[in-house]
Amino acid sequence: MFTGRSEPGGTGRRLAALIGATAILASACGGTTATPSTGAPSTSAAAPASQPATSPSAAPSDAGYTGPEATISYSIWGDPQEIKNQQAIVDAFHAKVPQITVKVTVSDWEPYWDKLQTSIAGGDAPDVFAMDGPLFPDYQTRDVLLDLKPLIQRDGYDLGQLADQAVADFTTPDGQFGLPRDLNVVALYYNKKMFDTAGIPYPDDTWDWDKLVAVAKQLTLKDASGKTTQWGFYTESTDMENFWSELVWQSGGDIISADHKTSLVASDQAAAGLQFLQDLIWKHKVMPDAAITDALGDAFEQGQAAMEANGSWLVATHLAAGLDFGIAPLPKGPAGRATSINPTGAVVYKGTKNPDAAWAFVKYLASPEAQTKIMELKASLPANKDVLNGPFATSFDGAKVLADAIAYARIKPSFKGYNDWTTELQTELDANVFTEPKKTAKQALTDVLPKLDAILASQ
Amino acid sequence: MTAVRRSARWRAGGPLAGEGRWAAFFLAPTLLGLAVLSAGPILATLAISLTRWDLLTAPKVVGLDNYLALLSDDRFQKALRNTFFYTAVSVPVGLTIALGLALALNARIRGIAFIRTAYFLPVVTSTIAIALVWQWIYSADSGLLNQVLGVFGIPAQKWLSNPTLAMPSIIAMSIWQGLGVNVIIFLAGLQAIPADLLDAASVDGAGARARFRHVTLPLLTPTIFFTGVLSLIGSFQVFDQIFVLAKPKPTEATITVVYFIYENGFKFFKMGYASAASWILFLIVAAFTAVYFWSQSRWVHYQ
Repeated sequence: MFTGRSEPGGTGRRLAALIGATAILASACGGTTATPSTGAPSTSAAAPASQPATSPSAAPSDAGYTGPEATISYSIWGDPQEIKNQQAIVDAFHAKVPQITVKVTVSDWEPYWDKLQTSIAGGDAPDVFAMDGPLFPDYQTRDVLLDLKPLIQRDGYDLGQLADQAVADFTTPDGQFGLPRDLNVVALYYNKKMFDTAGIPYPDDTWDWDKLVAVAKQLTLKDASGKTTQWGFYTESTDMENFWSELVWQSGGDIISADHKTSLVASDQAAAGLQFLQDLIWKHKVMPDAAITDALGDAFEQGQAAMEANGSWLVATHLAAGLDFGIAPLPKGPAGRATSINPTGAVVYKGTKNPDAAWAFVKYLASPEAQTKIMELKASLPANKDVLNGPFATSFDGAKVLADAIAYARIKPSFKGYNDWTTELQTELDANVFTEPKKTAKQALTDVLPKLDAILASQ
Repeated sequence: MTAVRRSARWRAGGPLAGEGRWAAFFLAPTLLGLAVLSAGPILATLAISLTRWDLLTAPKVVGLDNYLALLSDDRFQKALRNTFFYTAVSVPVGLTIALGLALALNARIRGIAFIRTAYFLPVVTSTIAIALVWQWIYSADSGLLNQVLGVFGIPAQKWLSNPTLAMPSIIAMSIWQGLGVNVIIFLAGLQAIPADLLDAASVDGAGARARFRHVTLPLLTPTIFFTGVLSLIGSFQVFDQIFVLAKPKPTEATITVVYFIYENGFKFFKMGYASAASWILFLIVAAFTAVYFWSQSRWVHYQ
């Protein structure tokens, strides 16, 4: 099956990407000239109009919206289940605030961004749209998002009710450009049956890298011909979030400097993290390589791997696959414990004609009521602390591990030029470190470093 | 094909005289569409290619900077090299197989309509569906191809992730997918060859091979020329096969120029850069097509 083409590789997004490719192709096949139609030149500089006139008469409290009747559009990416869930949230909002009608438009991961960019360029962007944490700076720095700070202050809205790192991901020195809608962390899934069969105790918070390798070796089984029939471990190497950024942090390295001008991935510590992942595949041979993963998909979900380091977005998929699994914190590395947190935000288009209605809806998305619905989907963690530490923590086996992980989680790198930078880096890693072990991690990272820094310099 | 000669006659009578006026009338909708939907955007990209533009903020004129930067861009050069390789293999191999099939299908045997339909089916099937099937064929773990090869003791190959095999694997799928169109056009060309010419050749003692070499092939050259142009231009613009088959993203071995353009324009916020790349591609395609057209006087025989 397809493996994720999306940046944050979730199965839902992956499936969505497959369907979504159709839309792209429909347009890609149409053209007979060699040029992509970039739209008429007149549509340059979107020029989203003035700061919104926040009408003084409007809406003081959290729930209350006393503005005029308004219809706003809300764009998201997602798989069918996620779409149904978001629609239910929208319906509940409309029941509560009948003056505001929210029209949901949905795309798959890849075309979502293509459409968003062209609609902003055309001055016709959705009023509210979903924003991936890492891509946020690419939009915020181009001045197309509405600063919510004046509205937050006007309403006395308490940002403290939302997960701190997730809020901070949409904060800049210029203001607050979105609220987190939900978030994801990465943890260790384990197949209980495989551990029971082998008589090995389940992973817990005492595990470190050595323990992970030792147990993964025990749980990697081969048949008489030497073909692996069960893998000890599985993760995705095609995006930093699935596992390798965590390994970099766990070994004391970092990805990028705080000012986003210097790439830090080639340090000895960072390279050690990536080397550990290469070793799991090629030295210890406890994890399938990329070619097998291309063919097999998620080995853990297929019941062919005993452990998986991956995101909380997989809970629903793993449950649907009928797996009997548990969740443990990621093992500690030489420099301690770390995982990754990556929020999806709800942001408001700066050119919106209904900033008050849009803000009322964004607030609702982050409210305990809407967040409970997000919790029920099990496709991500609620961003609202009341829900996260309350009902969510007991909503399924392992949920508390995920909620607790936020305390030691680091935000997924988020900077201008993210796509360009990660494509350059990931191309090098995929070709020379993971798909085939042509270079050590240190060598590959050293080789690609000048290109990475050139990309940062050009932003 | 014959349009070349007809346009000469048209000019002789003056563009607005009689027949010409009607021609202009019927051509107008197409020309208008071309002007608005193709020529406009093409010219726009030329202007955009001289700017640094992220699509969201005002463009900044940078002159030829984008073109100069492309010349030293590793990834672009890899994309160019891959695209040339794709074209150099897929066009001649694709046309040869299509011609062979057309000759075989140009026969009066039972069920010929069914067989012809079968070859045309991939053309009308969505690339997504085709790619899914071929992913399974190429699957490194338990793919059809590896299973078949395994019967002969040939070790399993990583068809899509081995850098040496990835592009040839994609080319094979593309040729299979595009075969139907060329076969149909070749069939039409074959059936337009007058039977009396072939009969006359037979009477003169020409065998099957000689008839093909001296009658069929020369009379088929306009058709070969036509399918050649279409395949050439289409190959330079290859995108969808790469988009769906190269998972999760094209590697250095599979990225093509149009994918490079898409990626820079829509993923990296570099619309000016992408436009410059598309103009370089446009010029390359135009140059190859011009040379190809120029060459026709040497090998294309119009009746």
